[in-house]
Amino acid sequence: MEGSDYYKRSSYEVEGAESKEMGKAVSMSAYDLVMRVLAFVLTLSAAIVIAADKQTKVIPIQLSDSLPPLYVPLTAKWNQMSAILYFLVTNAIACTYGALSLVVALVNRGKSKGLWTLMTVLDAIMVALLFSGNGAAAAVGVLGYKGNSHVNWKKVCNVFDKFCGQMAVSIGVSLIGSLAFLLLVVIPVVRLHRRA
Amino acid sequence: MASTDKPVDTEYSRPTSSAQPHAGVDLFKFDVILRFLLFAASLVSVVVIVTGNETKFLPMPRPAKFRYSPAFVYFVAALSVAGLYSIITTFASLYAIKNPAVRAKLLLHFILWDALILGIIASATGTAGGVAYVGLKGNKHVNWNKICNVYDKFCRHVGASVAVALFGSVVTVLLIWISAYSLHSRVPK
Repeated sequence: MEGSDYYKRSSYEVEGAESKEMGKAVSMSAYDLVMRVLAFVLTLSAAIVIAADKQTKVIPIQLSDSLPPLYVPLTAKWNQMSAILYFLVTNAIACTYGALSLVVALVNRGKSKGLWTLMTVLDAIMVALLFSGNGAAAAVGVLGYKGNSHVNWKKVCNVFDKFCGQMAVSIGVSLIGSLAFLLLVVIPVVRLHRRA
Repeated sequence: MASTDKPVDTEYSRPTSSAQPHAGVDLFKFDVILRFLLFAASLVSVVVIVTGNETKFLPMPRPAKFRYSPAFVYFVAALSVAGLYSIITTFASLYAIKNPAVRAKLLLHFILWDALILGIIASATGTAGGVAYVGLKGNKHVNWNKICNVYDKFCRHVGASVAVALFGSVVTVLLIWISAYSLHSRVPK
């Protein structure tokens, strides 16, 4: 902290050209902070939406033609499907990382070089995690919507319509959140390249 | 650590920057190796999943093919794109070793497109992995029976393919890392 303050002061005093560079660096970190807040909020809301996703329906089951149908309450919940569980966990990890990196970026303000590289790599890992979680949840969601006749997996979204709709919303929000992480990797690099 | 370096840099940056125009670290040899690994990984995973077709007689012939599931079709398409991309960028990286003038520009494009390809490979891995897990374990809540007890060879191929694709996404993260590191080392203080 002390060293970077010294650096800032000396660069402002030594020449005007350097101070313009510093202004660019500050605006870069402001953009960075906005994007991190966005990524944090989006992944958090995706995790909350999927965790609150629960639907109970009373399904008539015809055991035999002569008897009246049996009414059984069935519940769809996120923890019944491993892919949705994975989706929730990746969103929770990305949300936690978003909050932590927001604090680190606030303290650091884009000064430390090693930390910048580390955060780029961690952002890229979050992109990978979120995209894989989105892919897994979307694949299971498509199976739920369409079923698969080859392996005799019936579609379930005609029964649990609200559950599937809420899951689709959650996947969409999480996808926008992962695009925010992607932009966190890409746009600082473009700005950095202008200075290189 | 880095903050103690900063005052030294402000004092010494002027002479070094006039002596050499910010060559930065040169990691293009590692870059070529990693890109070739990415190519090999995507090729292997596409070949393995495509050759996994299996027909069982129970007693009617019932084939299992990757194109029966949209998730596996997406997986094959995404990994093919990644393989093509890695061929092109391997040659671009080799060109950069010969011709240092294009390096800064190339590093920028590498990071942009690597991040996109990372998203594609990771989502394909997640998609195929999610469906393969349902196939392996089944799901009693929605009455989806497991199929891997019947189609064992098909499932082994899918599992191996997903594992290799996971390795490919790790390689892509490493590619972004070394590109970001060497681009940052070129920035003047």
